[in-house]
Amino acid sequence: MHSLRDPAARGRATALLLALVVLWPLLTVAEFKPAAIFDAQNLKTTGNFLAAFLPPERGQEFLGFLARATLETLAIATAGIALAMLLAVPLATLSTRVLSVAEIGPGPGRVRALWLHHGLRALLTVLRGIPELVWALVFVRVFGLGPAAGVLALGLTYGGMLAKVYAEILESGETRPARAILEAGGSRVQALLYGLLPGSAQELTSYTVYRWECAVRASVVMGFVGAGGLGQLMDQAMKMLNGGEASTILLTFLALVLAADAFSGILRRHVANAGTQPRRAGIGPFGIGFTGLLLVAVAASFAFLDLGLAALFSRESAGLVGDFLRAFFPPDLSPAWLARVAYGTLETLAISAVGTLLAVLAGFALALPASGRYGAVAGQVSRFALNALRSVPELVWATLTALSVGLGPFAGVLALALHTSGVLGRLFAEALENAPPAPRDALLAAGARPAAAFLYGTLPEVTPQLAAYTLYRWEMNIRMAAILGFVGAGGLGQLLYFELSLFHYAQASTVIAAMLLLSIAVDAASAALRKRL
Amino acid sequence: MGFRLDGVGLTHANGFTALADVSLAAARGERIAVIGPSGAGKTTLLRLLGAALRPTEGVLSLLDAAPWTLPGGELRGLRARIGVVHQAPPLPQRQRVVTAVLAGRLGQWPLWRSVASLVYPLDIAGARAALTRLDLGDRLFERCDRISGGQLQRVGIARVLYQQPNLVLADEPVSALDPALARQAVRVLVQDATARNATLVASLHAVDLALAEFPRVVGVRDGRIAFDLPATDVSEARLRELYASEGAELPTLANEARFAAHAVDAQPPLTGARCR
Repeated sequence: MHSLRDPAARGRATALLLALVVLWPLLTVAEFKPAAIFDAQNLKTTGNFLAAFLPPERGQEFLGFLARATLETLAIATAGIALAMLLAVPLATLSTRVLSVAEIGPGPGRVRALWLHHGLRALLTVLRGIPELVWALVFVRVFGLGPAAGVLALGLTYGGMLAKVYAEILESGETRPARAILEAGGSRVQALLYGLLPGSAQELTSYTVYRWECAVRASVVMGFVGAGGLGQLMDQAMKMLNGGEASTILLTFLALVLAADAFSGILRRHVANAGTQPRRAGIGPFGIGFTGLLLVAVAASFAFLDLGLAALFSRESAGLVGDFLRAFFPPDLSPAWLARVAYGTLETLAISAVGTLLAVLAGFALALPASGRYGAVAGQVSRFALNALRSVPELVWATLTALSVGLGPFAGVLALALHTSGVLGRLFAEALENAPPAPRDALLAAGARPAAAFLYGTLPEVTPQLAAYTLYRWEMNIRMAAILGFVGAGGLGQLLYFELSLFHYAQASTVIAAMLLLSIAVDAASAALRKRL
Repeated sequence: MGFRLDGVGLTHANGFTALADVSLAAARGERIAVIGPSGAGKTTLLRLLGAALRPTEGVLSLLDAAPWTLPGGELRGLRARIGVVHQAPPLPQRQRVVTAVLAGRLGQWPLWRSVASLVYPLDIAGARAALTRLDLGDRLFERCDRISGGQLQRVGIARVLYQQPNLVLADEPVSALDPALARQAVRVLVQDATARNATLVASLHAVDLALAEFPRVVGVRDGRIAFDLPATDVSEARLRELYASEGAELPTLANEARFAAHAVDAQPPLTGARCR
């Protein structure tokens, strides 16, 4: 019998070739020049700026402001995430295919279910596609300067993000139990609670707590439009070039993120053990106490911020919002402007792609020790490094990288790469920890080397998740690449910043529309790619 | 060069004793079937024999080596010569069958070869040969989550065939297969072990299969060895005593006398022979 050839080899080789062919122009548009990092003049400028960070500000009065601002940031993040979950849970349950009874067969109501699925996905794309900064600007019109605008903007955009990722986590896990329940006549909610949640609870909780940490960081952006918290304090400090205050605020950020990471670890362990210990109820006293504490925290956040949400639904505020929105239509569609927007789009795409690619490599390299593979010490050190990378907002990284390599898209690439490697590294590490151990253990028992057992036993199990996180993070980076333009890192953001500053709302709305279309295109591409994995 | 257990026992951290006072020895090339009711300790026994669990008492010797006194590298080498067929095949869902089978020799390949084989499978012919013996030659490039449970179980068996170990441990290797396929798969395992003079220990749920295909049968009950006899000396009374808690019927491939596989097999089925 003649030897067979691997049918998948040709497809893989073609894909690799295609990737290389696309990568080259992307590197060019993103002005990828690693040598610039080590240029003597640049190193000196960076050094001077970093020197201004020490010593960190420690005055009594400032620390008082800092404490209040920290509480405000936490409250904004908690209230925003609570709102986002309220939005995301029903949206995810309704939009995910694995809970759709009509899919089985297919049965009756299939067309309606398809419309619902795609309609909801479109809604989620719009919610996520418009940066929270733009939402915040709209809500500031209604609520004035203050945290309410930030909370609502977070609630909407993060609601969209959470809904999409919840649906993806539910779909990429073990779906057969849920399908079995649906086939036995159970309802969608029953299939969710009994079929999908037990397997996905850990992942869902991890991601939600991680999103809460992101919300804390997002307050920096909110602060730039006056939504209070540490962001506003940071904005003031940076504007007055007060490096000492900026470094204290950054250290506070780092401490916040570390605390949230520890919190996430505890929560994950308890979720993993719930239902496995011989107790009468599934959750037990700790779980109930904890949930109670969470609810109290959410309520306290809303009370602390003194949000006047009732104002949103008054006739007067609806009129204000309407007037503001009307200025954005119709968008400027002249050929010259469209050409500029098109190039800006390409630049944004290139920045986000190259930045994400660098982040995947660095993040995976750090995730291996961080998942505990090489012992506790390496694990702690790498987790600390990942947290440090993650907790510094991209905007602040961009300030630093712009100094280091000059204004332009490469600064954006580096800023994204630094921040995203922390994010992806942590997500990769958690996916590696959560991977089912049976395949790897069986290979180790058959005498395989740990590295080989990892490649054959663990990696195939986690590859879909890693790819999903990467693609999703790339989408987010496209949005982030837009915002980075606010500090001069190129792309659509730089365009938007100029046009908004000049009150050219028609031109600005073209740019926003381009951002949204880009987000949709990437969404579709990543969904198609993930199906092939 | 087989194995030897002397007074081996395993007590878990929570106090539960899975195995106690187990003494068992096998020469090279022997074929042993392990039978017993569910929860008797058959899987624990096989895991001890595979150096996957460490006994809490007694002395254990596998392939003329004391596994738990060996340094890491040598223990790995010893494990590479022991093959385990799991009841639930530990195969990643999205991995292809060819890669899953080739993973059997990871213990023998250098690292560069393992990595290279991921990019392009290096021994497709070898994998195909192993799968063809189990009627799965045409499933070579399918993903593991696209084949049925029974086919997946046979892929697990093919992996061990490809590994060519000196000691084959099969934990309920045919539980998901229909009676004809189950008999055929067990015969493939037996033929492979005989051809290579390897020691084979298989735990089986179907008593008639165990008695028909294996010359030596060990009965396990409540963590202890109930009997260790040649297959011809195992009487029905002994079997009923072993399975006393499992109801009136002894577990066989086919409980109905009419549908027993004696068209293929010369030996009449267990229940049929005892009917009068």
